[in-house]
Amino acid sequence: MTKFTLNGEPVEVTNPREEMLLLVIRDTLKLKGTKYGCGAAQCGACTVHVDGVPMFSCQLSLDMVEGSEVTTIEGLSEDGSHPLQQAWVEEQVPQCGYCQSGQIMRAAALLNDLPNPTREEIASYMSTNLCRCGTYNRIFQAIERAAKEV
Amino acid sequence: MSNTKNPISGVSRRGFVQGAGLTFLLGSAGVTSITACSASVPMADPLDVNQWLSIGPDGMIEIVFPSTEMGQSSYSTLPQILAEELDADWDQVRIRQLNVDDRRFGNPLFGGVLYTAGSTGVQAYYEPMRRAGAQARDVLLQIAARELGVDKASLTTEPSAVVGADGTRLSYGDLARLGTDGVTVPDAVSVTLKDRAAFRIIGQDLPRRDVLAKSSGQAEYAIDVDVPGMLHATVLRAPVEDERPVRIDDADARAMPGVIDVVPLPDGVAVVADSLWAALGARGALNVKWSTDSPFRTSNSEDTLAEYSAAAENPDADAAVWAETGDAPNAIANAVQTFSQLYLTDYAYHAQIEPMAAVASVDADGQGAEVWAGTQTQSWTTHTVATTLNIPPENVRLNMKTMGGSFGRRTALVQNYVRDAVLCSKAVGRPVKVTWSREDDVKNGTFRPAAAQKVEAGLTEDGKLDGWYHRVATPTVIGFFNPIRWDAVRPNDVISMRGAESKFYGIKDFRADHVITERHARLAPYRGIGAAYTSFAAEAFMDELAEQAGRDPLDFRLDLVAENPRGRHLLEKVAEMSGWRMRGDRAMGLSFAGYSSSMAAGVAEIEVDDQGTIRVVNFWAAIDAGLIVSPDNSHNQVEGGIIFGISSALSEKIDIEKGEVVQNNFYDYTIARAGEIPPIEIYLADVDAPPVGIGEVGSPMVSGAIANAFYAARGKRLRHMPFTPDRVVQALQT
Repeated sequence: MTKFTLNGEPVEVTNPREEMLLLVIRDTLKLKGTKYGCGAAQCGACTVHVDGVPMFSCQLSLDMVEGSEVTTIEGLSEDGSHPLQQAWVEEQVPQCGYCQSGQIMRAAALLNDLPNPTREEIASYMSTNLCRCGTYNRIFQAIERAAKEV
Repeated sequence: MSNTKNPISGVSRRGFVQGAGLTFLLGSAGVTSITACSASVPMADPLDVNQWLSIGPDGMIEIVFPSTEMGQSSYSTLPQILAEELDADWDQVRIRQLNVDDRRFGNPLFGGVLYTAGSTGVQAYYEPMRRAGAQARDVLLQIAARELGVDKASLTTEPSAVVGADGTRLSYGDLARLGTDGVTVPDAVSVTLKDRAAFRIIGQDLPRRDVLAKSSGQAEYAIDVDVPGMLHATVLRAPVEDERPVRIDDADARAMPGVIDVVPLPDGVAVVADSLWAALGARGALNVKWSTDSPFRTSNSEDTLAEYSAAAENPDADAAVWAETGDAPNAIANAVQTFSQLYLTDYAYHAQIEPMAAVASVDADGQGAEVWAGTQTQSWTTHTVATTLNIPPENVRLNMKTMGGSFGRRTALVQNYVRDAVLCSKAVGRPVKVTWSREDDVKNGTFRPAAAQKVEAGLTEDGKLDGWYHRVATPTVIGFFNPIRWDAVRPNDVISMRGAESKFYGIKDFRADHVITERHARLAPYRGIGAAYTSFAAEAFMDELAEQAGRDPLDFRLDLVAENPRGRHLLEKVAEMSGWRMRGDRAMGLSFAGYSSSMAAGVAEIEVDDQGTIRVVNFWAAIDAGLIVSPDNSHNQVEGGIIFGISSALSEKIDIEKGEVVQNNFYDYTIARAGEIPPIEIYLADVDAPPVGIGEVGSPMVSGAIANAFYAARGKRLRHMPFTPDRVVQALQT
């Protein structure tokens, strides 16, 4: 039994303690917004916050989050009302959309650390997350928009 | 998520769409009305477009989306085209994904196959979907004229309402309820279409329908699908193409917790378990002896490129003429000066971020199956399932999911990830999801082919082009990924050759040949298809010729677009945007290419460091893709295409040794990251011409522009793409 907090709610799961957190979130807890992309800390599609820190959930085993607070895209807001999500809609950022949960979670952590980042700071911070459709410049614009509104 | 034989949503209700000629009017009005109107209204011809929509009594308009969505956004754009001619209130439109291989909705540019590829969606469906909307609008006007007792000509429409001369308004929902007695469906071919000036939707930036879901983690991809009782499978695949398992020791795997079954496949071994984690773990415990007699065991990408280079250089190598005007060999032979160069490009991987995944649920009697998959074709996915189970295609129930990128990856006639889900589900009698790891996706990728290209040209005394001969040595891609289509088009392979026709230039004596080489790897269409490498060779060589002629690269190209004013406009525009004429010693390179009928002129500005790393610091592009239906999305597509082009040009390369793909994941197959992206300025020409493609036009020009900018920076030519730091350093040392 592993206990942690997911999006503000206490959860208990009986999965193997070494199981990849990403798969526990997706397949056991049925929150599908967090994506599998590489399993190797390369693409960032699986980004979640653990105690407020952005982490690749493909690199965490379940036991590593015992007692922690885990936040996924659904915890940011399920209805898309978070300022970053609103900015993503305003800037019409996504194309295929598959990487965007991870991008938004990464961006949320950025704005927690740096409320008014420069374009260079944004580009550098967001370089952990891949977007094959090439929406990077729109991601930058959306983060700048959200930074103004937060 | 339902698992029933007759899904209540999706256009799989063949009886419904075929049973009545006017379902588009009375989709929700009940059987009586449908029967009545079928009896009283003459059916249009069999290509009748009225399967495209239905209008409910509540005014909700359901429009069929005949393609599939992978990020190109035709999910929003295609229904907008129909809504425009219908004069629909877009807020009252529901989009219905076509989930069946119903060829009445087929892509006219692919012989009616349901196929989402080649940037064809808007181009192919623009006419039929406009006409479907216009037909429906005309019928609504007729109903209103009858109800009001006025002449139809006195009526107009506003979004989702017919308006009389006296201001009387009848909503489309009300009219749908009133029935079609006395109404005649106008002929689709002659129905009146709107003037462009009257457009309310086309050319506007309506928010795309899927953006909120994709910004909140709510969009469901195939890899996310969960159905009751579903199991998970992973597949250990043969290390080399054409090998198969000859002995499977699965005792350890079967003993692991959660494992349900081990299923032998033609080219792999699947582990089915109650979780993906368990399936992945047990896969590692499999001990499989593979056959060793595949001819691909000797495949090495370096040798392959040497073989293709020899073929490109060999004037006696068999070649299929791809495009020809005048007599290029003769013109070149008699030219004052002649030049030639060889250009090389490696294999490239799609690198879509969602790896292959599919869910199948085979019926207990084995005579039908429901499948959830993201693919670029309802037709070939149906074909895959039907041939795997040897069942009629009607017994295949599809759920087409939005894709996490594709770029050509999910186009094949037989889709092995779908096939494997079907075989696993059949074996265990439960729904099964097959998920590929990133490593599976790379190692079993289907690639843009390696190619060697020889380009040869002559110059006149006064430095003008005098004959162009482009020989592309690369295998047939179609012959591998769709042998049925190859039988029909052979020896013309548009996937291998696109772009080599250089059709935006007027070259009097022109020839492009396809030297069809032996295939040594799995291949697939790729963003830009042939133009991803043919335009590199053509545009890099064009710059070399301009230099030989002592002319500015812009002027040299402008000579060749005298009869292509739209192309000339793009070159002049991009020169203006980038300050080309005043570039001084800035490292800028020009390129003029495109995709199919869409044209693109681009300028790259770069920086190069001593370690050989090229950084693109600015990119300007001028695009002509005909009428632009969705400007903001078009901008997004072109920008994405340019970034895809930058990424391919600078770093993307697959190596093959002894038949195995060397790369594993994004750490050794690197794609462009946020910090490598330049500011990109895009101009979309406003032209009065039918729409053509927007999804791929941004890519093909990019590599040539970067290679030419490198020459401006360092006075050396890059002729082998990608321009990796080792190759750049090597070029600097020559």
